[in-house]
Amino acid sequence: MIETVLKALFILLYATFVGFMFMGIIRIVTARIHRRVGPPIYQPILDTIKLLSKKSNITHGLIYDFGILYAVGATILAVMFIPLGSIGVLRAYGDLVLITFLLEIPMLGIMFAAMSSGNPYAGIGAQRALLTMLAIQVPLGFAIVALAEYYGTFSTYQIVMAQQVSGWSIAHLPLLLAAIAYDLVLQAMFGKEPFDIMIAPGEISLGPMVEFGGKHMGLLNIQHAIALFAETLFFSNIFLGGGVVTAFSSSVLNTIASLGVLLVKQIAVLLVATFMAAIFPRFTIDQAAKFYWKWPTIIAALGAILASL
Amino acid sequence: MEEITFKIAQESKIRKKPSFLKPWMSLKYLFKKPVTIKIPYETIEPAKNYRGFHTLNWKTCIGCNMCGQICPARAIEMTWIEGQKRPRPKIDYGRCTFCQFCVEVCPTNALGFVESYMLTTEWKEEELQLFDWVPIPPEKFREIQETYRDWKFPVERMKFNKETKEVTYYLRDGTEFKFKILGYGLKPPAAAKPKPAEKKEEPKAEEKKE
Ligand code: SF4
Ligand code: SF4
Repeated sequence: MIETVLKALFILLYATFVGFMFMGIIRIVTARIHRRVGPPIYQPILDTIKLLSKKSNITHGLIYDFGILYAVGATILAVMFIPLGSIGVLRAYGDLVLITFLLEIPMLGIMFAAMSSGNPYAGIGAQRALLTMLAIQVPLGFAIVALAEYYGTFSTYQIVMAQQVSGWSIAHLPLLLAAIAYDLVLQAMFGKEPFDIMIAPGEISLGPMVEFGGKHMGLLNIQHAIALFAETLFFSNIFLGGGVVTAFSSSVLNTIASLGVLLVKQIAVLLVATFMAAIFPRFTIDQAAKFYWKWPTIIAALGAILASL
Repeated sequence: MEEITFKIAQESKIRKKPSFLKPWMSLKYLFKKPVTIKIPYETIEPAKNYRGFHTLNWKTCIGCNMCGQICPARAIEMTWIEGQKRPRPKIDYGRCTFCQFCVEVCPTNALGFVESYMLTTEWKEEELQLFDWVPIPPEKFREIQETYRDWKFPVERMKFNKETKEVTYYLRDGTEFKFKILGYGLKPPAAAKPKPAEKKEEPKAEEKKE
């Protein structure tokens, strides 16, 4: 019992810390593409500390506070289900559909809070976010179906184990197609350009986030960090072979090594997303919906059909 | 009728095809050295004759108020200083646009400017006094600028004694610059005994008021 709690705590702390580092990496890499220097890598941590130590806090009622907590809680729950190398609290139950669903829940929490603020910008942002969410479901569903068809299981842990035997998922053509579609979807899940329509800084002044300040924004920063960690971790688990290293005899070394391998894979996923975000301009919401229902859907559906043959 | 031909670039030559792959070219900057000046550690040299703060040659200024008349922001107020026969311009940097019209118009070239441009204060009454000064002579200003080369305002602190009307500039190199303000405006203040030279200016001042 105690061991499980400790494990969960470790996962939470590790996910938060690495997530903040990821946010720092995104900022540095984006800066380098723009030929700037960028902030130090720990900048997001400083930002969050600053936000959490603000004196005045605006609240618009119960749902406004609850929505944020709901988002943070859902993200933490998602992390618990995804196998992190050999460490995992609920990995036996971490099935694809559940995790995919849990990764979308935070968006709903943010929407709750945003809508209860009564700000029209937040309202517009929420509408756009919901439409983006609706649009990404189709390719996402097909990608998940392709995976489940290919491996014959919904369990993420078993998929990781199967990749130990048969090689990485992206090495197989049907799953490669699914991975491409999923990667395009990731862009919207991260809230990165070209699909950062719900946030849209400069267009609808931060969309749902427009009313948040102080502790609410600080919690959202933490949520964003954990979500970045969870989404990259999920992608590396199902498509990049996860991180199960059994080369060493000691189990501690194995754990550290698998965490390292996973970290490299996660950063690779993150870098691709950052590159795309830095070089492509934002889509309008109707273009994004059309795009997601066209190319990623076709690619993912093709993958699903090939996988079931 | 002479015929005129206009050259028009062809639409097809200007319009580029949209591309999915070309944006990836911009990743080439990823490993290049960033073009950034790390300001607290590196400095930049402002251009020669960059329009910065003013200098005033106290010996050649004739107090003609040409500068005060041309100033588009009305930032110049003439100031009577003890021991000086004529008023001197006092410049308010809260209003000044740094157009340097006043320097251009000055008939004796008494008013000049240097490249220093940095003046930041906190929101405190005594620090805000820094924004309102009678410029110091150019030699002194240049000397300070050459010593520090960080392009900051040469006065660190100003003290204005309300009773004695004595102003003290504490310059950055430690020296003090003291004078006494007797009054403002074009009319000589009652305290200073009007001298014949100044009487000539009085009618001019009244003209302006009408
Ligand atoms: S600075 Fe020049 S223009 Fe201004 S009062 Fe003195 S002499 Fe006249
Ligand atoms: S620089 Fe321009 S705005 Fe400033 S005092 Fe001279 S004339 Fe006025």
